[in-house]
Formats: sequence, structure tokens, C-alpha cells
Amino acid sequence: MSNGTSKKTGLNRRTALKGMGAGALLATGALPGSLGFAQAQSSAPIKIGFQKHATGIGAAYGRWYDATTQAAVKRINDMGGINGRPVEIVIEDDGTDPKRGAEVIEKFANQHEVDVAFGTLFSHVVIGSAPRAGELKLPYFVVSEGHHVASGMLNRYTLQPGITDVKSQVQSMAPFVANNLGKKVTMIFPDFAFGHDHRDFFSAAIEAQGGEVVAKIAVPPAETSFTRYFPQIPRDTDVVYHVMVGPAVLTFVKELGEFFGPSRPEIFGFIDSLEAVDINSPGLEFLEGTYFWEGHPRHAQKDNSEYDTAYRAAVGVDDRGASVSDPKDVSTYAHMFGCWETLNVIKAGMETADYQGPADRAKLIEAVEAMTDMPHSLDHPQGAKLFNGKTHQVFGSQHISKVTDGTLTVEHTASIEDGMYEDEVDYTAQSF
Amino acid sequence: MLHKSKRLLWGMLGVILPLPAFAHPAEQALVLLLPTELYTLGGTLAVLASIILISLVPSSGLAWLYRGFRIGKACDLGRAPFVTSGLATGLFFTLLYVGINGPNDPQSNLLPQVIWTGWWVGLFVLQGVAGDLWRWVNPWSGLCALLFGRDAPVLTYPARLGAWPALCIFILFQVFLLADIAPSDPDRLATIAFLYWLFTFVGMALFGPAIWARNVECFSVLFGLISSLRVVHCAKEMRVGLPGWASFSLAPLDMARALFCLAILVSGSFDGLRETFWWLGQIGINPLAFPGRSAVVWTSGIGLILANIAIICLYAACVQGGIYLARRFGTLAQVPFSIAFRTYAITILPIALGYHFAHYFVSFLVQIQYLVATMADPLARGWNLFGLGGFRVTTGFLNSTEGVKPILLMNVGAVVISHIISIAMTHHLSGRIANTRRDLILIQLLLSVLMIAYTIFGLWLLSTPRGA
Repeated sequence: MSNGTSKKTGLNRRTALKGMGAGALLATGALPGSLGFAQAQSSAPIKIGFQKHATGIGAAYGRWYDATTQAAVKRINDMGGINGRPVEIVIEDDGTDPKRGAEVIEKFANQHEVDVAFGTLFSHVVIGSAPRAGELKLPYFVVSEGHHVASGMLNRYTLQPGITDVKSQVQSMAPFVANNLGKKVTMIFPDFAFGHDHRDFFSAAIEAQGGEVVAKIAVPPAETSFTRYFPQIPRDTDVVYHVMVGPAVLTFVKELGEFFGPSRPEIFGFIDSLEAVDINSPGLEFLEGTYFWEGHPRHAQKDNSEYDTAYRAAVGVDDRGASVSDPKDVSTYAHMFGCWETLNVIKAGMETADYQGPADRAKLIEAVEAMTDMPHSLDHPQGAKLFNGKTHQVFGSQHISKVTDGTLTVEHTASIEDGMYEDEVDYTAQSF
Repeated sequence: MLHKSKRLLWGMLGVILPLPAFAHPAEQALVLLLPTELYTLGGTLAVLASIILISLVPSSGLAWLYRGFRIGKACDLGRAPFVTSGLATGLFFTLLYVGINGPNDPQSNLLPQVIWTGWWVGLFVLQGVAGDLWRWVNPWSGLCALLFGRDAPVLTYPARLGAWPALCIFILFQVFLLADIAPSDPDRLATIAFLYWLFTFVGMALFGPAIWARNVECFSVLFGLISSLRVVHCAKEMRVGLPGWASFSLAPLDMARALFCLAILVSGSFDGLRETFWWLGQIGINPLAFPGRSAVVWTSGIGLILANIAIICLYAACVQGGIYLARRFGTLAQVPFSIAFRTYAITILPIALGYHFAHYFVSFLVQIQYLVATMADPLARGWNLFGLGGFRVTTGFLNSTEGVKPILLMNVGAVVISHIISIAMTHHLSGRIANTRRDLILIQLLLSVLMIAYTIFGLWLLSTPRGA
């Protein structure tokens, strides 16, 4: 049976292959002057199971998570691997489906015998897979942004050390919105649990900043035209905060722009609405001057960090967040750094725990739980992080960008503290 | 508490294509910004105009256009198709090996790529427009010719079964395609593909390759029907005609094949329908929070069966209603419903082909790149075969309106043209049943209305928001 190593990525396939090939050569000591893997007690690779959304509604995102993962593994192997052993990625497609996700976790544990599982994006797949990972005692490093990790609904084997959660993100937006865009906010959100969460949490956060939500407009999920909802926006609204989702999201923003014309209130949303969309595409002119949350700024800034620059080069992404081989092929840049950073956390955790094999899985989790500060570096190109071992959730800075002359220009960077909240769980109190 | 992740934002932008689905967030959002109502109106008017225009064409004129023009001599290829089929058998087993021993990621494994992208999408379309490729690349006929030659079959195929087994197996295949939670999983696909190959091989060994291919092997039946649409045919001589000209010799089909034609249409139509906000609303799923294929296994499977029944009833009602109108208000003599139904069924094939193309086109444009990229290194050993190691997959053409608009217009064109071809075929076949112009118009009146309605439905499918 194949080890299924994901030596393929459509984005940076060749370089990934070279990296893996070099890793193999290093493993055999064939490259002169290399860091080599020879000092390891075992030269067998560290196997990391990558639960990839190769098919299903997450496929476009799985593709970029894959590309970032390959680039991160190449870098780790080029630096000598983990504990002197090369890293091998084992890919299984979860179909962006929770039931299939749980099956994949079982395949990782029983068939591929991976050391850890990693990389899951969609919340419902995480929630469907995490219980099985816990039962199989397989460390499960997710990159989903879901609050389900820090909320306590999962288990000690599930961690999210490479990307902040949505609760933190929403909370950290409030100070900037209140102090710069306006105190009176109208929220427009889809009328189901996801939208309700945003409504409830952002309402509290903006009030804590001295602002108020002057209207809460719930839109039925199946709606595809929104003009009839806009008259409900009070005239004294300073900011429209929208969390509209779905295929009609561009229609929503366009109709909003047309409704208000030039004398509109400020408009604030999440870049997720525009992930993988070329914002300079004809027809999207109405985005000019609006604000977006960005986890990791898509467009390189004037004062771009050396780490972000190096990260872009490694993944194969240009200054506009698009593939270096096709400037139209825009990546899911705001989020995919999470794969890169998570793999570096796994590496650091395994090195601290002197990880040798599955018997050391608990030691690995304890090592990660003991982590706190993660400085801005090439290991963490998005920015510095603070890991909370009790909640298994990392906290980091957030960005608010304004579309200026077709470029997402960072207007504000929220501090780590802006996004922190009280612990809701202590996973370290759970037994292994 | 924010138990829902912001990942929802992403997913809700995605579209799912049926099989080894490729979801892309931007494409559909950009489609919704285009003036799709105008495309639908224009397409529908084009179909309406074609109905009027074709009804004015004298039967003899259409018959002349459909007779097929000789353009060359017969092309006797001897045993070449058996040789290539034998090679295809070898390729098939190589693919099974790759499926089991290659990468687990379906985007990096040749087996799901060749089967779903190369064969189910690519070969299907080529079969309808280019030639009978399946005769050359099916993995049985060459091997059977080698092993069994002209030996008489061991068993006699029960004639009363006709092609009904093929129809049943095709619908089972559709259920697998639509309802299985991981139809692209290389291990699972290799197992199923091998079992089907074995089943077919044993059947051919026992009952004879030709009769098994004609009645049980559903893809031979499928591709046989679809390939009748192509414009160039080479039998006793090479002839060219309007699309579908060679299909007329098949009509009236036997009832199993007639229903097979409708099943092909339903497979493409229902696959599109079940992704829409409308369908998800019917089955109680929030279109902005699609829970995955495992949550819709039963609704997809049962929905497919019900869609087949509904389309069969609708089509039958239009045929029967046409006969009634032509008898009641015209001079049509008694025409058995079964004959009319089995005659007209062949005219469904162009629409089935058009829907297949439109449904998979976006997915194909992306997945074929993965196939090419994977050919460089099918076993993930770090190879660089065929110099393809540097090939990079891109979806950049789906990220802007400049890229999305021509793709949508091509799909609109495929749907509209396929209906026009079908209308012309229907008109021509009506000449077999009705003699006067009045009877001709009356007998196909309801079928024409159905064509217009189905055009609107097809164009709506291309532009309506999808959540699954």
C-alpha cells in the first residue's frame, strides 16, 4: 500500500519534489555538507497525515493548503527534518465531509500509522473527526479557525496552534471599528447560527468600545438579492458590518454599493468573501474604499516583513497573493499561513519532547501545551503568536485592510491582546 | 459562543461538482454578477425561433439534409480496434495498480483522474462529437477476441431480458456517482472498477462479448447511443450529415434503450439540480452550510430515482398528448404510444450530451490539468515523465469575470444548440408518423413546449446559486 506521500502540488509541484528528493538524499547521507538526518536514532520519516479537502466544497482551499504544506515541509526537510528524521506528508481526501473525515482519521492511525494528523479546514469536518482522533489517541492539529477548539467541545488530542479562532478575530475588530469607522453599526448577517454568533458577539464587543449596534438585519440563507433589505439600514448608520456568505456575496456588496452611491457609510467585512477572487476584476469596482479583515494581508505592504517575503517565495506566491506562474490564480492568502505555522509548531513540539514515535504522542501534546510565546519569524511569518496551552488555541495579531486603488492596504493591526478572552476550558486537566 | 467557524464563509462560496468535485469560490459568485437573465431569455428565444423555423421546413428538405452525404470510401480498419482494446486492458490494470499503490490524494492519483475526468467527462463528449472511441479503448473486446475468438458462447443470453440489465446497472452507477461519499477515493474506486471489469468479463465469457456489450455492459450501451450523434460515420462508406443523422436508423429503440436515453439526460440534469439552493431547500438543508455528501446520501439516491420516474412520465405524457392532439384536431390515424415513445426517445440524446458538457465543463478545465500534472509522476516517486514535472495547475481563469463569462457563454451555447438539434430530430422523426403539416405540428406541439421548458431549466441550472 502506498504511503501516499503528497509529493504533488499543482502550485509548486517541482520545487516540492526537489525538496522531498533532497530530503531523501539527505536521509541517505548522499549530499555532501548537508545537515543530514544521520544523527537520528531512526531514519524512518516522521509521518504527518494531511486531512485534505481535495474534493467537495473545500477543494479550492484544499489546493492552497496543500501548496503551503508542501512548501513548509520542504523547508523543514531542507533544515534537517525533525529530530534528524525527514518529514513525510501522507494525504487523504476527506471530501470536506465529517463522516469521511472520521474515516480518514482512522486510516491515518491504523493503515498509514502516521505520527500526527493535521491540516483540517472546515469546522464540520473538524467536529466530525476530532472525537475519533481522541479515541485513537492521535494528535490532531487543525487549521480551521473554529472556536470549537477553545470552546471546550473537543478533546485533549485536538489543538489549533497555527491560526487564531473566529471569536478572537471578531472581538479584535471592534476597537478599530468604533474608534475609526464609527460608533453606530448596522449588522447584516445570514439568519442562521453562524450569523447569529457574529451578531451576538460583535454586539457585545462594540458596546464594550462605547459603540452600539443600531440595527440587526437578518437575511434568510437562500436569499440571492438583497436590495429590499437595505431600506432597513438606519440613516444615522456610520458602519455597515456584513458577514454575508455564499455565492451571492459579491452580489450583496455590489447591491449595497449601488444602493448607497457615493455617500455611503463605511463598509466592513471579512476577506473570506473575496478569497481567491481577483479584486481588480471588472465588475468589482464597488469594493474600492471598503474595509476587510485579513488574517494575513494578501498584498505585500510597503513595510513588508522579511519573513512574509520569504514565505511568499517558498509557497510560490507573488506580491499580489497570486501564483507566481499565473497572476490571475489568486490564493487563499489570508488563511493558508496556518498550515505553515502549524507544521513549525509540530516540529518545535517534537523536538522539545524528543519525539521518537507514537508512544511519545502524549509527550508531544504536553510539549505543545507548554508553549507560550511564538515570535514573529520565518516559522511564524503572519506575526507573533501567544499559545494558550489550556485551551489549545493560539492568539495572534489581526489586520484590517482598506481597498485603495485596487490594493488591500493595511490600515490597522490589532494586537494579540485585543483578541484574547477568558478561558472556557482547561484541556490539560483531561487525562490522556 | 462561536461554535461555527468562519470556514463557513469559504464553503458557502464554493460549488460542488458531482464527482471528484472541484469547488471554486469565485466562479459562481462572479456568474451571479453577469446578466444571466438575458442569457436565459436569449437562449429560450433562440430555441423558440428554431421550433418555428424548423416547422416551416418541408419534411423532404429536412430528410435530404439528414440522409448523410458520402465523402469517402469505407475505412476497413481490420482488427486494429481489438489491438487497441487489448492495449487498453493493459492500461486499465496499470491504472488499478496506480490506484492502489499510488498517492491517496485523488488529485494526485491517475486512477480517479483518468476515470472521472478522462473517461466519464472527456470520452463521453468526444464519443458524441468525434467518433466511436469506446470501440477502440474499452478494456474487454480485444481480450475477449484473443481468448474466445469466434467460439460460440457457453450460455445463451435470455432474450427477454433485452437491455434492461444495462439500464439498471447504469442507474446503479449514477447512484454511486451521486450518493457515495468518496467516489474518488483511489482504493475504493480501484476495487469497484475491478469488480465491474470482472463481472463484465465473466459475462462476456459466458454469453459472448457482443451480446453482453449490447445488453448488459451499460457503458457500451451508453456510448453506442451517444456516438450515433456524431456527424461523420464510417460503415460501408464514409458519410457526413447533420448531427444525429445516423441516430435515426436506431429508432424506434427497444423500450429499455428508450428509457436509457432519458436516464442519461436525468443523470446530468439531476446532478445539477441537487446542488442548487432550491433542491437543498426541499431537503431541509441550509444552502449556506452544506454538511457534506454523507448527509445527502439518501436524498441524492432517492432523488435520482424519482427524477427518472418524473422525466419518464413527463416525456410519455407529452408524446401521448401529441398523439391525442393530432388525432383530435388533425387527421392522424391511430399510432401506438409505444412506437411513438420509442421513436422520439432518440431525440433526447443531443440534450443529454449538451447537459453533460455544460455540467462538467468547469470541473474538466481544472481536473484535466491535475491529470496532466500527475502523469509526470504517477506513483509519487519524484519522477519527471514526459517533461511534465514543471506543469502547474491554475484556476486563475475562474477568478475574474473575463475568465468566467466566456465559459458560461459556452455552456449556454451547448445547452441551446443541443435543444435545437433535438427539435430538428423530433421534427424529422414526426414525418414517420404524421403526413400532413398540421399533424406534424400537432404531434410535436407538447414536445416543443417541453423543449422550451427544459431549455429554461437548463439555463437556470447554469446560473442559479449552488450550495452543495
